[in-house]
Amino acid sequence: MLALIDNVTWQRWFGVGDAFADPVTVWIVSGIAAALAISGVAIWTLISRGRVSEESATELKQRWISWCWLIVAIAGPILLGAFWTVLAVCLLSLLCFREYARATGLFRERMISVLVVLGIGVLTLAVLDHFDRLYFATAALGVLVIVIGTLWQDRPTGFIQRVALGSLGFLLFGFSLGYLGLMTTTPDYRPILLMTIAAVELNDVFAFCCGKLIGGPKWLPNTSPGKTISGAVGALVLTTILVAVMGHFVFMGTSVDRWDRLMTLGVLVSGLGQLGDLTLSSIKRDLKIKDISHTIPGHGGLLDRFDSLVLVVPAVYHFLSLYLGPLGADQPMRVFTGG
Amino acid sequence: MNDWQYQPAQDIDLTPSERLRSYRREGGLISDSCRLLWWSGVKSSLKVWHRLSVTGREHLPESPSYVLVSNHSSHLDALTLAASLPLSVRNQLFPLAAGDAFFERPATSLFAAVMLNALPVWRTAVGRHAIKALRDRLIETPSIYLLFPEGTRSRDGTMSQFKPGIGMMLAGTNVPVLPCYLHGAHAACPPGARFPRPLPIRLTIGQPRLYSDVENRKNGWENIAQELESDVKALGGLTSDQ
Repeated sequence: MLALIDNVTWQRWFGVGDAFADPVTVWIVSGIAAALAISGVAIWTLISRGRVSEESATELKQRWISWCWLIVAIAGPILLGAFWTVLAVCLLSLLCFREYARATGLFRERMISVLVVLGIGVLTLAVLDHFDRLYFATAALGVLVIVIGTLWQDRPTGFIQRVALGSLGFLLFGFSLGYLGLMTTTPDYRPILLMTIAAVELNDVFAFCCGKLIGGPKWLPNTSPGKTISGAVGALVLTTILVAVMGHFVFMGTSVDRWDRLMTLGVLVSGLGQLGDLTLSSIKRDLKIKDISHTIPGHGGLLDRFDSLVLVVPAVYHFLSLYLGPLGADQPMRVFTGG
Repeated sequence: MNDWQYQPAQDIDLTPSERLRSYRREGGLISDSCRLLWWSGVKSSLKVWHRLSVTGREHLPESPSYVLVSNHSSHLDALTLAASLPLSVRNQLFPLAAGDAFFERPATSLFAAVMLNALPVWRTAVGRHAIKALRDRLIETPSIYLLFPEGTRSRDGTMSQFKPGIGMMLAGTNVPVLPCYLHGAHAACPPGARFPRPLPIRLTIGQPRLYSDVENRKNGWENIAQELESDVKALGGLTSDQ
């Protein structure tokens, strides 16, 4: 089958030689590497001078090491090529759904779990095939299949709950997160993805720092007691500026490269990033659990790390498509299925 | 509108490595699929390589919880007992395995937890709290335990005395226990053997016993252990002093 794939798609999938073709990719990767190195030295200095307790030192080290692995796991596939990125996104979707299913108890409903996993598989194939219409159709059809998929069990008790939990899980962690893969249909996906992910992660950092420095009233204390209005506004301002500046270089010469549009993109990234975070907080409060899992030492679960991305990615994709036309429209479509 | 009833996984607060060793472990789709493949393979290979035959299947209760106890002289024992049960109970089936042998290293822990669904029994310190945790799980969650009350594999194939831990787990509960005897497993794969020999294995499952009216005290535990030991020996055609 691989022999049938055209050269353009092959290059997009596996063209690791193009990894640093865009200078913005070089800047972002260098920036991340520098941030890791500086934070590593800072942590080492704090620990060696005895400025932090033993417990805090262990946690800081754990968090730093986990960040190193996370960055390799995120940036590695993006730099290697679209094919690896799509597979990594598929794996991320599956692992996020797994955490959600274990937290809600949905994992005991095997049939719904199987249907969601199959749905994520179809989304992945649709992205690899560059069959956008199938991708969008899978959202509706996937929910439909989840709704009817367990009727034959003749077990109406709990029907609404399990179907709703399954549909929500599929839409959030399969469909929405899957847009990360869908963005790879354009050959310029590397700087766009790296910018989006870096901005979303820094958005969390900005919110935390502004909240600590400025303080003030809580935002939604029942949902997330640690979040303040000052943190939210600070993150909104800083992330918007960051995205506008980075976006200017990423989209230079395109119709997105206007300050009003870049600022709107920044507001979308920051606002939806924070709302994604609050969505997971609401889920955790509703379930009365502190952490969704303990997969990543020092961070909690994968969802604790990637919750902010879930709402941002579809919005960024459609915002860019609004001004640039459908992403990847100049690339060969329906690589496997033809037509 | 009433709140929905959520039941997060019982082991949600544990790290991945802690989860493998935990009695609260709950598997999902991945472990379920792995076990389906594993037990299908084990069943087929025991059938073909050891011409496994099982008598007394009609004594198995229709649904969990229940316990199978047997003589123990080979690594094939737990596999054979598990293979005698339907594949549909693979996620409720828990061989109790030696913690120091199966749960000390990450790779063996992963194999024992994911493929076998084994729960660890720490032979050097089988505390009351550990047996209570096993007992609670048996009562609260539909489970099938595969248990070897001798505590370790016999080196020469002869049966040793049953330890009273089995009594601590069952006394005063409504959980049936089925004595079983494994013929030929020691000859096919004795301790130290690298690869099993193609010799026949036969499993005999006896009548279930219930100890709901036995007091949960030392005397009761010892009586249960002795009675089950006699049952297993009888199934193997052994006299009580063998």
